[in-house]
Amino acid sequence: MSGYTTSGAQQPSTGAAADASTIDIHSRAVSYTCGDCDGDVQLKRGEPIRCRNCGHRVLYKKRTNRMVQFEAR
Amino acid sequence: MAPAPTTDRQWSTEFDTARRQKLFQNPPKDRTAYPTLAAAVDPHIHSFNQIFAKGGHLDEALKEIGTKVFLDGDPSAQPEDVGRRNRLSIKITDVFLDKSVLPPSNKVSVGNRNILPAECRERHVSYRGKLRARVLYRINNGDWLETVRELGQVPIMLKSNRCHLENMSPAQLYKAKEETEEFGGYFIVNGIEKIIRMLIVPRRNYPMAIQRPSYTNRGPGYTTLGVEIRSVRPDQTSQTNALHYLNDGNVNLRFSWRKAEYLVPVVMVLKALVETNDRDIFEGIVGTADSEGLAEKQFVTDRVELLLRTYKVYGLHSRAATRAYLGSKFRIVLQIPDDISDEEAGTEFLRKIILPHLGAYHITERNDADKFRMLLFMVRKLYSLAEGECSVENPDAVQNQEVLLGGQLYGMIIKEKMDEWLNSIRFPLQEWGRKNEWKLFTSQDFQKDFLGRILKRAQGEDVGRAMEYFLSTGNLVSPTGLDLQQTAGFCVVAEKLNFYRFISHFRMVHRGAYFAQMKTTTVRKLLPESWGFLCPVHTPDGAPCGLLNHFAHKCKIATKGVDVSAIPKVVAQIGVSSKASASLNASVVVQLDGRILGFCSPKQAKVIADTLRYYKVEGSHDIPLELEIGYIPNSNSGQYPGIFMSSQSSRMYRPVKYLPLDKLDYVGPFEQPYMSIACTDPEIVSGDSTHVEEDPTNILSIVANMTPFSDFNQSPRNMYQCQMGKQTMGTPATALRYRTDNKTYRLQTGQTPIVRPPLHNEYGLDNFPNGTNAVVAVISYTGYDMDDAMILNKSAHERGFGHGSIYKTKICDLAEGQRKSRSAKTVNRLFGFAPEGVVKANWRETLDDDGLPRVGTMLRSGDVLAAWHNVSYDQTLGDYVNLDGQTQFFKYKEDELAFVEEVRVIGSETAADPCQKISVKLRVPRSPVIGDKFSSRHGQKGVCSQKWPAIDMPFSESGIQPDVIINPHAFPSRMTIGMFVESLAGKAGALHGIAQDSTPFRFDENNTAVDFFGHQLMKAGYNYYGNEPMYSGITGEELAADIYIGVVYYQRLRHMVNDKYQVRTTGPVNSYTGQPIKGRKKGGGIRVGEMERDSLLAHGTAFLLQDRLMNCSDYTKATICRDCGSFLSTTPTVNEYQRKNSKAFQVRCRRCAKLADNSASKTEVWSDGQGIRYQGGDDVTTVAVPGVLKYLDVELASMGIRLKFDVEP
Ligand SMILES: [Zn+2]
Repeated sequence: MSGYTTSGAQQPSTGAAADASTIDIHSRAVSYTCGDCDGDVQLKRGEPIRCRNCGHRVLYKKRTNRMVQFEAR
Repeated sequence: MAPAPTTDRQWSTEFDTARRQKLFQNPPKDRTAYPTLAAAVDPHIHSFNQIFAKGGHLDEALKEIGTKVFLDGDPSAQPEDVGRRNRLSIKITDVFLDKSVLPPSNKVSVGNRNILPAECRERHVSYRGKLRARVLYRINNGDWLETVRELGQVPIMLKSNRCHLENMSPAQLYKAKEETEEFGGYFIVNGIEKIIRMLIVPRRNYPMAIQRPSYTNRGPGYTTLGVEIRSVRPDQTSQTNALHYLNDGNVNLRFSWRKAEYLVPVVMVLKALVETNDRDIFEGIVGTADSEGLAEKQFVTDRVELLLRTYKVYGLHSRAATRAYLGSKFRIVLQIPDDISDEEAGTEFLRKIILPHLGAYHITERNDADKFRMLLFMVRKLYSLAEGECSVENPDAVQNQEVLLGGQLYGMIIKEKMDEWLNSIRFPLQEWGRKNEWKLFTSQDFQKDFLGRILKRAQGEDVGRAMEYFLSTGNLVSPTGLDLQQTAGFCVVAEKLNFYRFISHFRMVHRGAYFAQMKTTTVRKLLPESWGFLCPVHTPDGAPCGLLNHFAHKCKIATKGVDVSAIPKVVAQIGVSSKASASLNASVVVQLDGRILGFCSPKQAKVIADTLRYYKVEGSHDIPLELEIGYIPNSNSGQYPGIFMSSQSSRMYRPVKYLPLDKLDYVGPFEQPYMSIACTDPEIVSGDSTHVEEDPTNILSIVANMTPFSDFNQSPRNMYQCQMGKQTMGTPATALRYRTDNKTYRLQTGQTPIVRPPLHNEYGLDNFPNGTNAVVAVISYTGYDMDDAMILNKSAHERGFGHGSIYKTKICDLAEGQRKSRSAKTVNRLFGFAPEGVVKANWRETLDDDGLPRVGTMLRSGDVLAAWHNVSYDQTLGDYVNLDGQTQFFKYKEDELAFVEEVRVIGSETAADPCQKISVKLRVPRSPVIGDKFSSRHGQKGVCSQKWPAIDMPFSESGIQPDVIINPHAFPSRMTIGMFVESLAGKAGALHGIAQDSTPFRFDENNTAVDFFGHQLMKAGYNYYGNEPMYSGITGEELAADIYIGVVYYQRLRHMVNDKYQVRTTGPVNSYTGQPIKGRKKGGGIRVGEMERDSLLAHGTAFLLQDRLMNCSDYTKATICRDCGSFLSTTPTVNEYQRKNSKAFQVRCRRCAKLADNSASKTEVWSDGQGIRYQGGDDVTTVAVPGVLKYLDVELASMGIRLKFDVEP
């Protein structure tokens, strides 16, 4: 069911001991939407928060593309 | 040339659905379609614009502050040792406030560097601009040297002349992520919208006759009588001067300076102002020697003689000597430099303190003469008051009040902070002197050090921070107190709960926090003087009733003075003399803004007033239309007569029609009581009425105007509706996406009301719908309708009736609680999972790869909201490394289910730091449930008691079922006839598809509302009176009575059971008493108090009491000694042979026990924790008691009181 895919380059994991999925998370870039120009912004852990295109300082997280399912009652 | 604006601004009652839709989809590019709405906040914006305008408050303030002078050398050295000291003069000549832009440290943004208000809301920071001051300084008489200092970042009012949004068209505003109809008038401080409340203050530049019992506390001989004037300088700061009447007829002048009170004999001030003599003063007060009525003025002549005689003891004769005397007394208080002579200090005293509205800087002889004449007039009025010739004036009446506007207060604080900053240069100067062996100001070292080492170290340079503090707390930190009676509560949050509440904040005016504690209710009374200025309906009930008022919707506030330079000439032409006669019947005063223009006969005064009024409405002779001509006619010991004209800012004024010219005139609260203004055209009395109201609804506030047919209702119900309209779940904003309010309520299914006044469209309220049109039947039907309960049609509910949501914003800030430092290297936490740590699967249910919540996820209590970990910066790697491998979380702690709506990743101003703050907007769905509160627009609130199945609802002959059922008992005692009329009008409107005008005062006895709407109903084939035969939904039988059924606009109030319910059996307890704690948030209980206890006892339900007051409270098992009856002496025994956690431990009384002797048998001996062996004391038992009883025993024991309990059986 895990339909979650990330855009952006994946770093090949070289760590021997660490869990593969753990490494995955941290090297992967997550994409956000710029609050000003609506452009796509790819950010990795620890990178400064700003739009590459316009320098805006507020980014919105995109809606998850994972399946969201609630029990309707 | 730009094309002429074309957006239509005319509105009617009509729905105008297509027009509104077009406005909404394509916001106009030229101008707003709702100018009235924007005009409602004008006082705020224009008063702020005045601060930094050319010749505005700050320009005037800088002139008033003037030049500060500091002297060099050791201040403790004797003057003869140092000789002439060098003077450092320093002054501020200009102040600039920049617009909000990115700091220079941000090097990445190259294009648009503006910071818009929407970004500040989203990033939870303040919307502010840099304040700079041009400072000039010189040593002795050298050349002025210039430097520019930065005074920090000052919050900017939205839509003011320092805001990016000023003059933006709706289309541009929409682009800037604002409402298309954004009107500004507030500040953004830490992401929160704050407004400076308008405040009622005494009317400026008018000497008011006052009687106050507290005046006798000034000292022996003081009476309750006085004349007070709030004298306002051109920079809007004020100085109150008061004259006190003493028993013997003497008069003292009182003023406050830096929160301390001072009293000076009035004659001393008079003699210091101008070169004068006793005769001049005598004639100035009593009247010229040859004037008529002097003989009857024995009372005044006696007292003036005494006034002048008692002053002789000072032995001061010339003006110079008097000024020098005053200067010597007040030079320390006024912080006047040492090398200024006493006489000059006295001049400074007169400039700063005595009637500064007649000259606050660059004082000329004429200014002093004006002050002299005004002071004489005040003495005259005081004697007239003491004699009983005139009455006291009411400081609680709007007639003697004006409004302190937000911008004025803001400017006053900035002025004071700059003044304080300049004064504080003294300290770094002295410190520099001390460290450098009192080197002279003329030395090279001083010139080198002054800017970098001295000016920089002066305290209070950061004016911006002080202003931000003021706005965020509302507290006024001021050494002078700014002549105000309160130090807190100046600012409030402009809550956007719904649009009514938001707009009300800008029309709100407070009487002052000081009056809130007053036990008497006189200040709260609704006085006839308020007519047309303050809304009689729109004030809260309860604690702030009558203190927190709202302006009538047509009431305007002057934000700057009008040009009155032509008036003295016009008045002189009509005829005034410079000297007054003794009797008021012979001459009365003519004043303009607290300056005496002359005296004339009462007859002449009426001519002057009438002529000026005609000129001003006509627009001739350069008399401005906004001028207020307060003509007070002579009367039998009424208000002191004269003409008192005012032209300056802060005045309330309102439009009426001037009958002689049939043109618009503005009237103010001071003149209104003596004018004859007819309410409606038929009420005009020829020969008496001079004016007529434009519309009787002009007296109501915006919100009060929205109550339909409010003239049919009992007045308190209209007040309740004004309250409830502001608590409704509605549409707070259309730009909800870009708002990050702590908590916002939103009604999903808002509609435009069918029944509404045209003002509804004029104020653009359809952009923010506040409720739903509901079919309401007035019938007692289900049995679930007692006591203001209402029944909701279940199908109506399922179709979305009253459906709402709450949006909550949670801020996860990693830097919170850590020392603030700008450098990126101090980042020691990052969002995300620790790189080396394990990531559990259940964390990933709500969190994404970056450790932030997924948008759209459902959250339950305890779910993780965001992950973070500790990091430190590694120089070699140039990266943040995590050492502990631990992931920590922000959690969602509330009980209610919520959905993640938006996640905002917030960067810093410099755009160079990694993420330290996120803001998560959560949506809590709130469909109506039993217990939620609803109300109509007539103060008829009720609680939903059942959602009744549609099949069981009654239905009419045309098959209509009600959405809401209310009980007929809601009407007889409340007399909300307006609701019946609304029901009729709504029904007719729905049937014909028309919007109904519900403006009050439109119907009368000959032309009734029932008839008007009844005929519409008849036309549609319905019963004239609005009632219909109905059938029971359960049996299908026709109901015996016809049922009143119609369409009423219903509001859903924000009070919902889900925020209120409180249940508990066990839970947290107080650690001292063992009783349940209070407070819903903490899971506490509700107190069962004495009254509740009494009623339970009366019902004979003692066991219930046992349960509430004992078992569910502080039930404790306690050991007690039967012999000595004490709780405190029992102790558990410690048996050294037994295992520690063996259950068989015993309790003995140590008090009744004796130390064991050797003869005692082993079974009788026991030992305590210290191993001391005892015997006896075994008559111990266990009882159930309230925990507090033991606590009481301990408390009493500590005071040496023993409690002894008899235990039976
Ligand atoms: Zn961008």
